[in-house]
Amino acid sequence: MDVLNPMTYDAEEDQLRDRTKYSQMDKHIIPVEFQQQPVSTGTTIVAVEYDGGVIIGADTRTSAGTFVMNRFTDKLTPLTDQIFCLRSGSAADTQAIAQVVTYQLDFLSAEMNEPPLVRIAANCVRRMIYQYRDDFLAGMIVAGWDKKLGGQVYSCPLGGLLVRQPVTLGGSGSTYIWGYLDNNYRPNMTKDECYDFVLKGITLAITRDGSSGGCARIAIINKDGVERIDVLGNDLPKVFDL
Amino acid sequence: MGDDILSYNGGVALAMKGKECIAIACDKRYGVQNRTIATNFTKIFQYSDHCFVSFCGLATDVQTVSERLKFRTNLYELREQRKLKPNVLYNMLTNLLYERRFGPYFVFALVVGLDPKTGETFIYDSDNIGAVSDNVNLATVGTASEYIFGLGELFFKPNMNADELFEATSQALLNGVDRDSASGWGAVVYVIEKDKITVRELKGRQD
Repeated sequence: MDVLNPMTYDAEEDQLRDRTKYSQMDKHIIPVEFQQQPVSTGTTIVAVEYDGGVIIGADTRTSAGTFVMNRFTDKLTPLTDQIFCLRSGSAADTQAIAQVVTYQLDFLSAEMNEPPLVRIAANCVRRMIYQYRDDFLAGMIVAGWDKKLGGQVYSCPLGGLLVRQPVTLGGSGSTYIWGYLDNNYRPNMTKDECYDFVLKGITLAITRDGSSGGCARIAIINKDGVERIDVLGNDLPKVFDL
Repeated sequence: MGDDILSYNGGVALAMKGKECIAIACDKRYGVQNRTIATNFTKIFQYSDHCFVSFCGLATDVQTVSERLKFRTNLYELREQRKLKPNVLYNMLTNLLYERRFGPYFVFALVVGLDPKTGETFIYDSDNIGAVSDNVNLATVGTASEYIFGLGELFFKPNMNADELFEATSQALLNGVDRDSASGWGAVVYVIEKDKITVRELKGRQD
């Protein structure tokens, strides 16, 4: 057990959590064909900072096992007017977190009489994930714009970590595009270059990952507000035809 | 995706009857649980001039069962000196599968055929241990089979001609696989008539 570099994921504990989570009787009573898999946004989420704001993007598939429950989900959830969170993991868990944090930030902005900082929003999300780390399955990215530091992207993965990164990926589909990121991301890209980077990354992940699919939803957040762009299936950029 | 062995690789196939013609279609995905590895893995195999079989399920068994069936059909054709009929092929397949009743192959099968002289059409389907079915109008197998069944029932009309049949089959397949993350990534449709067989590859959503 390495104290300085603790494991962020323990497979045995995860299985134990699974065994105690749902009713044990389900396994014995319900035939395996009817046992429902938990709904997850097995997903691809991308966020990147540029000079003046952030560009965030996600695919649009929500699945329960192999069944696609929603082909046009919106995984870009606003926490405030200029701060968004990207959700990956269990759909129920991430929706609950987003709801609670939206309330907390609303209350905070009434107290402070100014919009909350992105770091504060990210910390609220991180606090919830850390507090319920044994129960939640939520990997989130919080990104937005505030007056103090401009565009920021914070990553809040499974165990309850908070780290600011200039570019970050999340979700099951992200594993297929880390290489693409390493090869194609450069610091200080322009807004259009960042947009192309995000869109191409999501398209590549959609093509390979079974849990990601549908269309790409992208949002550009800067001092002027939020611009949302939905890129439908046939408008996605062409990638190598497998 | 859980540890359901029949959805480990994914895949789906559909067969529909028309007037003296048959259509059989399958998707082209080869994947391992979430990850898509190739999009050129078709699951339809030809065993005679007008007899086709499609296997869906565990990919290794798709390959093995199709090859073992080919072995038996080759010997049949050599011994009997005649081509296979669809119901004979179906019997051979179900026998092959039942031989492994207590350690089965993980494939579900669709057998389709046409008698070129009389125009009589055959569609049979089988589970992985060789349960026989009647000669049906519409059959699907695979991870997205329930979704495609619904659409197939909607688009099916009795006595369709080859073009209408192609449209109905492709629309049912392409839209059904949109609801399944383990199938899709393109499709191939065979339309079998008395005098010709038309193969069409469909593009579909690559997600």
